[in-house]
Amino acid sequence: MRTVGIEAMNAFAGTAFLDVKKLAEHRNLDTTRFNNLLMREKTVALPYEDPITFAVNAAKPIVDALTPEEKDRIEMVITCSESSFDFGKSMSTYCHDLLGLNRNCRLFELKNACYSGVAGIQMAVNFILAQVSPGAKILVIATDISRFMVEEGGDALSADWSFAEPSGGSGAVAMLISDQPKVFQIDVGANGYYGYEVMDTCRPSPDADAGDTDLSLLSYLDCCENAFLEYKKRVEEADFAKSFSYMAYHTPFGGMVKGAHRNMMRKLAKAKPKDIEQDFNQRVTPGLELCQRVGNIMGATASLSIASTIANGDFETPKRIACFSYGSGCCSEFFSGIVTKEGQQKLLEQDIAGVLDKRYELTMEEYDGILENSNALRFGTRNLELDAEFIPQARKALGREVLFLKRINEFHREYEWVS
Amino acid sequence: MEQQQIFEIIVNNTKELLPELESHNFSQSDSLRDLGANSVDRSELIMMTLEEMDANIPMAQMAKANNIGELAQIMFEQQA
Repeated sequence: MRTVGIEAMNAFAGTAFLDVKKLAEHRNLDTTRFNNLLMREKTVALPYEDPITFAVNAAKPIVDALTPEEKDRIEMVITCSESSFDFGKSMSTYCHDLLGLNRNCRLFELKNACYSGVAGIQMAVNFILAQVSPGAKILVIATDISRFMVEEGGDALSADWSFAEPSGGSGAVAMLISDQPKVFQIDVGANGYYGYEVMDTCRPSPDADAGDTDLSLLSYLDCCENAFLEYKKRVEEADFAKSFSYMAYHTPFGGMVKGAHRNMMRKLAKAKPKDIEQDFNQRVTPGLELCQRVGNIMGATASLSIASTIANGDFETPKRIACFSYGSGCCSEFFSGIVTKEGQQKLLEQDIAGVLDKRYELTMEEYDGILENSNALRFGTRNLELDAEFIPQARKALGREVLFLKRINEFHREYEWVS
Repeated sequence: MEQQQIFEIIVNNTKELLPELESHNFSQSDSLRDLGANSVDRSELIMMTLEEMDANIPMAQMAKANNIGELAQIMFEQQA
């Protein structure tokens, strides 16, 4: 059987973050039941950061580590996102240019809310397995941002929307998919997918989200069970409690994952609450670590959870990880793969957590200033010069070269590397 | 299972999740949101109740319930 999977991966979650507990207090949210949401920090996109800066900052170290020959074998760049700023032009074209890739390359974009990243991974995996271009590599970049301008008016789609602001993050995960799966080797054919039409959360206008949190949570739970049951049809010996050393769930916020895992363990393993708690801490929390520091980055979150699991798990011996992705609207998938000690070391070289540590912590005043300022980057902005003096501490925070948006000239976005 | 029985299971599970409601006098028109349950609590309550009923019903259908009585009614109508 052919081998396929993730050859290299990296995540990038910006230059500035917010402590979510402080935000909840600042917004006078009811914090008595806040702890069960398991939220910690979230990355905030600054006005000069957009889905391209996140994507390219994530992908650059991966591409730079390749030889010129290897780099030329990148034959597809798929951006996976719900945050694009153009209905026609794909963000993969900007990424392709900024990364200096070979022009004999397919460039396009995928969308299905938070499922987009996994849709991208699976399309890339299928391209490799089809062997239509032996030795080719695919760069899959899931990138999403939250800019808070919540849709006003109408009760049906605004219920409990106070969850969204503390949980909505910004960031990207870049993955090189090839026949050399050094970081994560996919279990070929072991996929359970499940989707149906539901109006849970969506982006019905260019700069605003709308949603029904309860419906989305419940749909996630239904999908998790049904996607696993389909996986089990194809992998008969699969046992939810025993076959996977770790579980990387799509993590809108930790509390949702905890509820889903509890539901699965109750239903499929008939486990008792105390055992479920222990199992959650053992198998699930490694995947939450990075997600709880970045917030929900939609299409990139399931991949971030895979990265977090690989970075924080114990891989002295090779282990199998399961991944569950859910995207509102909706589509979901349960799949799995193998991680080795060498794969973990390769991922740890990117020092994803170390880069997160260097982000600048925003004050509430600065954060509120960004919300007002974000009007400047509305969808459809034709001409704009970005203000490099706005929260300048963040631009230097990482102590390394970072790509930022410089200006928009007749809709065309121009970027600059700043060190 | 009768609808009244389901209603009582929901009430007991709500008290377990939110112990401060132990002495609350529950009615059909009580909204879980108004009682202080957030979205995670509400989904947890639905999971607990369906488990006790031993019913396998798609949970997304429960999102349209506006109060405990409506939730009990949906569960009653959908149970196998």
